[in-house]
Amino acid sequence: MSIDLTFIGQIVVFLTMVVLLKKHLYVPLNEAMESRTKKIAEGLAAADAGNKAREAAEKEVEAQLIAARNKAQEIVASAEKRAAEVAESATNKARDDASKIVEAAKEEVAAEAVRARDALRSEVASIAMLAAEKVLGAEIDAKRHAALVEGVIRDGFVK
Amino acid sequence: MADNSIASHLQYWTYVVDESNPFMQIHLDTMVVTLFVATLMVGFSLWLKGKIVAGAPVGAQNGAESLVGFINDTVNDNFPVKNPLIAPLALTIFVFIFLVNTLDVLPAYLLGNVAHLFGIHHFRPVPTNDLNLPAAMGVSVFLLVLYYEFKLKPVHFCKELLMEPFTSLVPGFLKPVVMPINLILKLVEEVAKPLSLSFRLFGNMFAGEVIFLLIASLLLGGGPIAVGAGFFVGLGWSFFHLFIGLLQAFIFMILTVVYLSIAHQPVEH
Repeated sequence: MSIDLTFIGQIVVFLTMVVLLKKHLYVPLNEAMESRTKKIAEGLAAADAGNKAREAAEKEVEAQLIAARNKAQEIVASAEKRAAEVAESATNKARDDASKIVEAAKEEVAAEAVRARDALRSEVASIAMLAAEKVLGAEIDAKRHAALVEGVIRDGFVK
Repeated sequence: MADNSIASHLQYWTYVVDESNPFMQIHLDTMVVTLFVATLMVGFSLWLKGKIVAGAPVGAQNGAESLVGFINDTVNDNFPVKNPLIAPLALTIFVFIFLVNTLDVLPAYLLGNVAHLFGIHHFRPVPTNDLNLPAAMGVSVFLLVLYYEFKLKPVHFCKELLMEPFTSLVPGFLKPVVMPINLILKLVEEVAKPLSLSFRLFGNMFAGEVIFLLIASLLLGGGPIAVGAGFFVGLGWSFFHLFIGLLQAFIFMILTVVYLSIAHQPVEH
């Protein structure tokens, strides 16, 4: 229980141990721990950044979807408008055409009627002539009375 | 064969360099066990150093890391500034004292009897029971404290030695008179640090060992009842002593950190 040379020896052992343990145990372990801490922090930061990027991307997607939907609606609306226009113009054209055809037909019919009337008139005139010839039993000067007969027929038809 | 009296178990395996000078001798048992433990620790670090990974730690690295983390927390809580030497110092103190103290739970006569086989008459297995080891560590810490005091704030420290605590309390003409008193008080205060540090550890461990020896002598001396009682008492004391060893290692470590942190405190104006 006395202080002696052991004391000196112990100081040497102790200080040597401090130096060796610092170099071989504490420093490498601490470096490993610090680098791990850094790595984990970086990983967490990267995860955060990833989450943020994903949120931004989701917002972007949503915005683009809305824009696309609007655009689609616009396109549909303009297409509908255009279709309506086309249909209307087609209808108008068809109506015009129909009225034209009707007009032409009417004209045709009128012309036909005139023609038929003329034919009938001449027919009736000759028939009347024949009938009158028969009734009168006398020859009627066709050339003399033609104007008279024709006037009657025309007036009668017109009536 | 040595006799079994307790006193004989408290003798060191000594190599005497110079008979006339009591300082010139060396306790071989203390040195051998200390070197053995130190070699174990350094060997463990060298072994672990090769397989340290920065990724997920496994096995021994887990344990070592939690220990280093604990020491780092303790040091960072106490230290106002960064000093890369403090944490390794605290780590060494804690682990080394704990390992050496733990040797004390080996059966009291075991290592001594092993040593007897090799013709060594006296062998003390636990180096912390030898005042030389706690004193060496305490003085080393004290020298470090003085070194940092003088390195970081030499003027302030010298002023403190001469001026504290009385100078501000006495009138001007008495100030030179109280200077030597201040110096003596301050020196006592400073020297008390390594003394209390080393004697606390030494006293605890020495007393623990003596109690082991007392229990053993009871156990060997009486009948079967004494043997049974001695066994359980010895077992209980072993657990308690293990705890004391851990506690003393922690106290030595934390006081070292505190003393050094006082030396590192920035000067207040």
